[in-house]
Amino acid sequence: MHTDVIQRCWRTLLGVLAGFFGVRSESARERDFKEGRALHFVVIGVVMAVVFVIFVIVLVRWALSITGA
Amino acid sequence: MGTIRTIIFGLSLTLLSLSAHAEWALNLSPGVTEVSRSVYDLHMTIFWICVAIGVVVFGVMFWSIFHHRKSRGAEAHHFHEHTLVEVAWTIVPLGILIAMAVPATATLVKMYDPSEADLDVQITGYQWKWRYTYLDQDLDFFSNLTTPQEQIGNEQAKGEHYLLEVDRHLVLPTDTKIRLLLTANDVIHSWWVPALAVKKDAVPGFINEAWTRIDEPGIYRGQCAELCGKDHGFMPIVVEAVPPEQFQQWLAEVKAEKQAEVAAAEKSWTLDELMTQGEQVYLRACAACHQPTGTGIPPAFPALKGSPVALGDVGTHIDIVLNGSPATAMQAFRDQLSATELAAVITYERNAWGNSTGEAVSPSQIAGILAGNADTAGEGAQ
Repeated sequence: MHTDVIQRCWRTLLGVLAGFFGVRSESARERDFKEGRALHFVVIGVVMAVVFVIFVIVLVRWALSITGA
Repeated sequence: MGTIRTIIFGLSLTLLSLSAHAEWALNLSPGVTEVSRSVYDLHMTIFWICVAIGVVVFGVMFWSIFHHRKSRGAEAHHFHEHTLVEVAWTIVPLGILIAMAVPATATLVKMYDPSEADLDVQITGYQWKWRYTYLDQDLDFFSNLTTPQEQIGNEQAKGEHYLLEVDRHLVLPTDTKIRLLLTANDVIHSWWVPALAVKKDAVPGFINEAWTRIDEPGIYRGQCAELCGKDHGFMPIVVEAVPPEQFQQWLAEVKAEKQAEVAAAEKSWTLDELMTQGEQVYLRACAACHQPTGTGIPPAFPALKGSPVALGDVGTHIDIVLNGSPATAMQAFRDQLSATELAAVITYERNAWGNSTGEAVSPSQIAGILAGNADTAGEGAQ
């Protein structure tokens, strides 16, 4: 039960990341649609969008710090 | 065979003539500042990357078209996806973009750092001229187009610096970090000098910052780069970079000239003297709208010839020229012209093109009005 939840979360996360990247194999897509739940994708999608924004902010801070601005 | 040879000959001739025209190259100028050179290098790096991508992509495409060509009626091969190839053509452009972003970021960070400047110059866009205020130097002037109307109207041959010449250059010292503070008085303008790699919007109510450090003395020309109305193409920028010692000398000279102008307002002027100077001032400051013949372009720019203002009460006329006319294109000229110039141009308007009031407005009278209303001078140079 427990490992099943972790595995499902992991697959949903991979699906979201593949969406961010823009490439997903047809077999993986079919599995997502069969086994995944829409709500999970939405929630993890929003969380990953926030993570991406934070990543960009950190990247800009870092770039400014190494160029000495 | 003969045709092919002709085509090749024609093409090579075209290429030869292209290299002959390198004088007016279409490429970016490397410019005369550290920033402009790094902008140029960045531009060339990215350009060659694009060329390489173009050659590879079109090469593969044309090769495929040729190699896989089939006769009519051939059945197209069906295939759907190839994850590995898709990942590759996503990763590779991402890598190229990151490789371009690294030097671009370094240049942008440099470009956006106006700190620790040794000289501050405020640049204000007006319809259609620039105003330069040297902060902490008590120096402030307008820079107007000097290309004669006859050249613009194709009645004369065009000069070497057609539409890129002004009466007063923005004189700047070389080897000095100069902060430029940009704003506008009426609509959005944009101050653009390619050789300095500075192009910055001048927005009313906002101050934008830019900076430059010019390495080589010389004259660098630019234009307004934001469509700002009728004479958008007639408000050029001329930057004159001089060595720092010469800049100090220039500052002293300009300040002395200003003193002389104040003194000139004190002396008494004849009607003829005022008319002569008034005509020059009129052609420089007023003729763009009210036209050299005083007939204006109604209804936007009313005629002065036979106008009730130019023929009526002199007080009203002075008020409009000094303070502008609300809700019209008529600007306030109190900060733009000296007392003598204002008196001369008002006198001219009241006595030219058949307006014959015979009245002379004296510079000292205008100087008095300007001094009396100093506190209402608005955003004048303080």
